Amino acid sequence: MTITLALPSKGRLKEESLAVLTKAGMKVMPQTDERSYRTRVDGLDVEIAFLSASEIARELGNGTVDLGVTGEDLVRETIPDWEKRAAIGARLGFGRADVVVAVPEAWLDVDTMADLDDVAAEFRQRHGRRLRIATKYWRLTQQFFSSQHGIQVYRIVESLGATEGAPAAGSADVIVDITSTGSTLRANHLKILDDGVILQSQACMVQALKPRSTEDDATLQAVLAAINGR
Amino acid sequence: MSSRLPAFAADIRAVFAERDVNMTEIDVLQPADPFLDMAGEDLRRRIFLTESETGAALCLRPEFTIPVCLDHIASQAGTPRRYAYLGEVFRQRRDGGAEFFQAGIEDLGETDIAAADARSVADAHALLTRVLPDVTLTATLGDQRLFEAVLAALGLPRGWRTRLARAFGSAAQLATALDDLSNPSRSASYAEPVASLIFDGDARGLAAHVRALMEDAGLSVSAGRAPDEIAQRVIEKAELRSVRLSSDALDALRAYLSIRTELEGASEALADFERQAGLSLGAALELFSARADAVLGHGLPRGCVKFDAGFGRPLDYYTGLVFEISAEGSRPLVGGGRFDRLLTLLGAQQPIPGVGFSVWLDRIEALRGDAA
Repeated sequence: MTITLALPSKGRLKEESLAVLTKAGMKVMPQTDERSYRTRVDGLDVEIAFLSASEIARELGNGTVDLGVTGEDLVRETIPDWEKRAAIGARLGFGRADVVVAVPEAWLDVDTMADLDDVAAEFRQRHGRRLRIATKYWRLTQQFFSSQHGIQVYRIVESLGATEGAPAAGSADVIVDITSTGSTLRANHLKILDDGVILQSQACMVQALKPRSTEDDATLQAVLAAINGR
Repeated sequence: MSSRLPAFAADIRAVFAERDVNMTEIDVLQPADPFLDMAGEDLRRRIFLTESETGAALCLRPEFTIPVCLDHIASQAGTPRRYAYLGEVFRQRRDGGAEFFQAGIEDLGETDIAAADARSVADAHALLTRVLPDVTLTATLGDQRLFEAVLAALGLPRGWRTRLARAFGSAAQLATALDDLSNPSRSASYAEPVASLIFDGDARGLAAHVRALMEDAGLSVSAGRAPDEIAQRVIEKAELRSVRLSSDALDALRAYLSIRTELEGASEALADFERQAGLSLGAALELFSARADAVLGHGLPRGCVKFDAGFGRPLDYYTGLVFEISAEGSRPLVGGGRFDRLLTLLGAQQPIPGVGFSVWLDRIEALRGDAA
């Protein structure tokens, strides 16, 4: 029996994920050639699959992989009812970024979510449309605005890239986006609300919650123990 | 979950037939935007969305009020006019099936507000009595406009009034808002030149400054929030920070919100409140009393209608009466209310007042099953 561990397929996330495994004493066999997306861990019944980070979250949700390294933001955003389908086994200390609510710096009167609530409530009357929020984080935005802050009257506009440019482009008034240093937001004259941090995300080792054999479960627990003990 | 018509649907049609209402048919497939615009983005995960070939967002109708109003606007039908409906609605729910039946009456354009409100409550009650003859029913009435009148009579600044009015109907949000207003947060510090402009109350200078910031950031000054709108709110916020909700005002608000009484004694209880708080609720209370008299004039069983001053719904298109009717220990069987802003929001050229109710047939079916 074998379990599948999904790792980011390229870039810094891939390097850092491999470094974590090495530090935990697991040797990932070199890929047979550069174009191969599969390999194994030496001496363990663990197969490695290289996927994109957002695919990893989706596959964890579907239960088609057993373990995966992906961002907490993607887990919470991509997997419906994520707590029932996945569990965070370890936080890995890289890929740190915050999902935040940001408004134009020129909105001198808006510093908090309560301010934004006021503005959203009057928006329709003044401008004949609802306040628009550009984001790729539908689920996180809805939870934060509707459930946590009781803000109902806004519309989400889907943004598939360069979200920080949406207010200047006129396609949205406010954005919810991911930021690590805040410099992109500042460059676009946007400010983060005082209580506008929705999630402090980082790369995590995530476990799919699904029935598996005792043998596979032991392998999975061994991988998690090694990573947590690194 | 079956989608068959409940056995008592014929009784409901009979109740409609006895009244001067137009039975209306509504398309199952509806444009999604009006629902999301009116109820908010949170509705998105509770409706069934699909797309037309051209990319327009469509949904299975999640309720009837908005499509009835849209059809009314499109048909340019004269008012007043009452519409009745009976059919399936589609919502994703944690408990219960996703398809269930609702019936109701929407009363559009009747200018005698008190009479129309009372008729809506009485019709809802008559409908339930027909299909649940042996069940004791309790109607609970709330009044959005009366709450707003209390806020105005207390002389609260506009910013506070809108915040509290918005929280009306949600005990948790109202508590948070009251808490914030009686303990204002530390004053935000502004850098120059904003601090001086605020200190001088120079709205025009501030607007010019905001305009410069917006142009600098490449923001349109007309597509979204405008410079003078932002400047006005900056100054308003600064003013609010220097005042706090007095304990008298807070006590009066709490006293008002705790009023719960049978409708027979409600006008008197509100008059007592006016005297004790030293306030006058004016036209809003006159309308309340006229409505209460009209409801009682419909001959509902004594004591079965209650007034709860804190009862409301946190949706911004309800403007006056809100009500629900329940059997003992049941979830509401009927929800209703007045929505005088809704038709304008949906695109009507002239304001059209509206009041209506909707009945949950699946809940009635469950109660009838228990009784059998």
